Amino acid sequence: METAETTSAENLQPEAGESQPAASAPSGNGKAVRIEPDLDFIRLLQRQGGDSLKKCFQCGTCSATCELSPERKPFPRKEMAWAAWGMKDRLLKDPDIWLCHQCNDCSTRCPRGARPGDVLAAVRQECVVDHAFPRFLGRWATQPQCIPLLLGIPAALLAVALGLKGPIERTLGLSPPGGGKIIYAYTDMLPHWLLNGFFGLFSALVLAVIAASVVRFWRGMKAADASQGLVAPAKGLLPSIAAAIGSIVAHDQFASCTRTRWRFWSHACVFFGFVALCLVTIWVITARVNPLVSDGFVYPLGLWSPWKMLANTGGAALVAGCLWMAWDRLRDREQRGSYSDWALLAMLLAVALTGFAAEALHYLRLEPQRFLAYFAHLVFVLGLLLYLPYSKLAHLIYRTTAMVYAEYSGRGGKTRPATTGERKNVEK
Amino acid sequence: MEDKTGVFICTGYGIAEALDINALCEVVTDECRVPFCKTVDSCEGPGLESINEDIRREGLNKVVVAGISGRLYSGDAFAEGVIVEKVALREHVVWCQPPGDEDTQMMAEDYLRMYIAKIEKMEPLVPFLPEETLDKSILVVGGGITGLTAAMEAAKAGYEVRLVEKADRLGGWLARQHLSVPTKPPYRELEDTGVDDLIAAIKAHPRITVHLSATTSRIEGAPGLFDVTLASAGNGRPAGEVHGTFRVGAVVQATGWRPTDPRDTLPYGQVEDVIRNVDLEEIVKRGGPITRPSDGKEVKSIAFIQCGGSRKKEHHSYCSSICCLTSLKQALYLRQQNDEAKAYIFYEFIRTPGQYEDFYQRVQEDPGVFPTRADVTDVVRDEDGGLVVSASNTMPGERIEVKVDLVVLATGMQPNSADGEAIRALEDAKIKAAQGDSETQRKDAAETVEQLKQHEGTTILNLAYRQGPDLPTLAYGFPDSHFICFPYETRRTGIYAAGSVRQPMDGLGSREDGAGAALKAIQCVEMTARGEAVHPRAGDTSYPEFQLQRCTQCKRCTEECPFGVLNEDEKGTPLLQTTRCRRCGVCLGACPERIVSFKDYSVSVVGAMIKAVNVPDEFDEKPRILALLCENDAFPAMDLMGQHRLRCNPFVRVIPVRCLGSVNVAWIAEAVSCGFDAIVLIGCKYGDDYQCHFINGSELAVARGDNIKEKLEKMALENERVEIHQLQISEYERLPKIFDGLAEVIDEYGMNPFKGM
Repeated sequence: METAETTSAENLQPEAGESQPAASAPSGNGKAVRIEPDLDFIRLLQRQGGDSLKKCFQCGTCSATCELSPERKPFPRKEMAWAAWGMKDRLLKDPDIWLCHQCNDCSTRCPRGARPGDVLAAVRQECVVDHAFPRFLGRWATQPQCIPLLLGIPAALLAVALGLKGPIERTLGLSPPGGGKIIYAYTDMLPHWLLNGFFGLFSALVLAVIAASVVRFWRGMKAADASQGLVAPAKGLLPSIAAAIGSIVAHDQFASCTRTRWRFWSHACVFFGFVALCLVTIWVITARVNPLVSDGFVYPLGLWSPWKMLANTGGAALVAGCLWMAWDRLRDREQRGSYSDWALLAMLLAVALTGFAAEALHYLRLEPQRFLAYFAHLVFVLGLLLYLPYSKLAHLIYRTTAMVYAEYSGRGGKTRPATTGERKNVEK
Repeated sequence: MEDKTGVFICTGYGIAEALDINALCEVVTDECRVPFCKTVDSCEGPGLESINEDIRREGLNKVVVAGISGRLYSGDAFAEGVIVEKVALREHVVWCQPPGDEDTQMMAEDYLRMYIAKIEKMEPLVPFLPEETLDKSILVVGGGITGLTAAMEAAKAGYEVRLVEKADRLGGWLARQHLSVPTKPPYRELEDTGVDDLIAAIKAHPRITVHLSATTSRIEGAPGLFDVTLASAGNGRPAGEVHGTFRVGAVVQATGWRPTDPRDTLPYGQVEDVIRNVDLEEIVKRGGPITRPSDGKEVKSIAFIQCGGSRKKEHHSYCSSICCLTSLKQALYLRQQNDEAKAYIFYEFIRTPGQYEDFYQRVQEDPGVFPTRADVTDVVRDEDGGLVVSASNTMPGERIEVKVDLVVLATGMQPNSADGEAIRALEDAKIKAAQGDSETQRKDAAETVEQLKQHEGTTILNLAYRQGPDLPTLAYGFPDSHFICFPYETRRTGIYAAGSVRQPMDGLGSREDGAGAALKAIQCVEMTARGEAVHPRAGDTSYPEFQLQRCTQCKRCTEECPFGVLNEDEKGTPLLQTTRCRRCGVCLGACPERIVSFKDYSVSVVGAMIKAVNVPDEFDEKPRILALLCENDAFPAMDLMGQHRLRCNPFVRVIPVRCLGSVNVAWIAEAVSCGFDAIVLIGCKYGDDYQCHFINGSELAVARGDNIKEKLEKMALENERVEIHQLQISEYERLPKIFDGLAEVIDEYGMNPFKGM
């Protein structure tokens, strides 16, 4: 096993050799880079799950092990050096930190007990905080003591919206929904105009924040590459996006991990469950104006409506995926997960479970419990939406951007089919 | 006393199945005329008891036991005063020859003839004990941690100790350190050096006499009889002023180290605030925060540059083993002073041997310590007073620079030793340059003086030895020793080098070394007092005797003795200092007049063995190969060859020799005239990483090969008939190949024409 490992590492990574450091930035003009280590950044990473970052002695086993790492300037070896030296700017503009999917194959193989997978996760979290607008929300999302505040905000906003319902209806002379028909639904509590308007407003806000973050992140990556002499894009923007989306949908990065292969399935459950729920939500919101929807659209949907079934299946997948992930984190000491990791899992579970609760109580016609459950559901959904750019869910934004950028800049995904088989044999 | 000789032939171990025992007994009794010959079924346990019983009953004083290898008997297997030689019939004959074969039988018979001839020539051993009382006290030169430990351990064991220190205080480098690297689990935090307690205990010990500000201006004599003259080392009194003399039994040289000079490779002395690790230690020891020498500003960042003056091809290419640890320790000094401080460590390889790895990891995990592999390319002063260190090939980038307040060069260790042989060569050359016979001789000598002039005045021990006033060195000034197997040994018996004068090491290693060297010194005085040899022929009570009336003053013995045993009088006659002798026999091999002999090992003893071999005549087509094998590796390798049942050429007759350097050319001549067709000498590996137990014995044998060639040429024989090989004990499988190679040589050149003459 030893020999095979060594050989493959050498074949794969001429750059990982002792004489050529991993981080060898092709400094075109040959000028030395002045380094001023950011001690606070190091301590921050150490606090946020990257406590092993200083253990690295740059052997390169991690990069040789990683199935996702490109051949040219592979990660995470160079990122480990930058992290140990507190090179914050370089790390936060590095697309490679997002190409990692934290399977922790590298952490398992590290001969020194460093956990590059966890260090990169901590760096990603800092990347999210650094690009967040406003910055304080990014910081809050990483701090457990902010939970009440962070849940209080959407609750208060919803309460304000509910409080404003009566006055607005009176002012505008709106009739109650249903056109006089008595329908047992949530619309009398939260009419669609209010729900759509309210969520529409915050969605637009969040989208604007996302757009700003993406642009900043993109420019940062480009500037960093340009300073190292890399400028010409390898691909057009649209083909890059298409390639990245294709890769995300296929989950092929997860499929290549060896140690935590199950993550392909748990992440797929959560991902596709979430997508299904989003699709149904969009369908319902747009029903009134969507020409594809027949006039006979009746809300709420019946239990056997295909949309309802899709929503329930999606919800079940979300719950199952989240529980799976949580169980594996509890069971496996090696994959303990960071605070933000657990926060996202809890949030997703809360969204799904309160959703199911609202649905069940609704069918059971339990008053006022169904309203309370629905309110809670809306608070969690709003929370998920509001904190998307700051929570771990921000990986949606940054990882996608980084993957697009990787395609765009020619960094590409993995390109070593010849050796994959060999390594798997070795594994057995 | 009348010789009463007896032979025991063992029939167990498959020997009786492979050999004709009756024929063997006939050789003993009829041919060799040994009156007592008996077969036993074993030579171990009850078998051995019965042999001893017979020896006692018959009053035998010279005995040959033919059975298992001599290496398998314990030291007390036979009664004292009985000369016993063991023939390894099992290993050397039965296990590597076809059973029942005519050649196998001839080989066994020859070995019996050889060893019977040998014991007949051997005389009983009488241990060497001079009339003077042999002193058992111990001199320790150097009062650093090694010397202190050696003195303390020797004193604790009950020996009188004289501790001589050049400086006016004890403690050496360790006493100059603020803190020490951790020496015990979990190897995380810095510790007190503990040296002050040790100094106090030394000063209070009733058996230790401390001489401060003193040097040894002369040490003459030999183990048990060293006469030491003490002189002032300055410090208030005139340097060289004699304090007095005393006698000791053995010496521990613990003269320690001095920093390597980084000037050649790094900008030390050219740029301000570039200091050595020893300088930083002084700054920290002084107390208060670390400040910059140039302007006294508090230091908030340091760049440590490793391998300052060591591990460079043109300089000290060895690793000093402590500089990495020192830099890690000093990085902690800085970090513990200021939590925002930064310590950069630029290294080629971090070397923290053994458990110190844990300490390295602990320092590495400190957020403010930045170790990286690097080639430091430049250190320059910034406009605003800082230093900018540039480096390439680093971990965080191809070319980087950092700005720091202070640069510390991790300078290494070089031994505080003197090259005794070079000093002697310098003295000789000086005399020759002044009084040489011809102009060219004087010119050459003057050149030698020029080359060696850095050794002028470097003497430390001032030994009154013919081969020079200090221990011979091997490389980089470290005293020569068989350092892998016998760390404290030097080439001067009874003088043991310990601590970083022997090899770069840290305080912990030095303590161990000090204790080890003290034990060696104790061993030496005790064994010397019993008339025994010390390592590696520990316990041997034989010793060389010189028939000086036949000496021609050729000085070969005095020059070639690896241990400087022999002094000379003005004419060049050797003056034997027996307690210095290690009994290797190199003098015996060197002497063209054959005046050197041991009671059990001499030109005539080995010559008799050679002559005893029954050499068949030319037409029998049974050639004979004489193999002279070094007892330390090659001869035991014969046992291994047998144990592995490797087939061996049946025409070989093996004789063990103390060292290849003890092989006298007379034996070669004897073998040729006896009709041996080829001769092979197998010794240990030589060179800088030699394995010869006697330093240069096997090398000498090769050098003397010319004499052998001359001898053969005179006899009109081919040089190819004599081969010299080097062999490690683990290379036993090479032995049959070497022998077969010689058989091929015989095939090519034919039989020895002197056969039967």
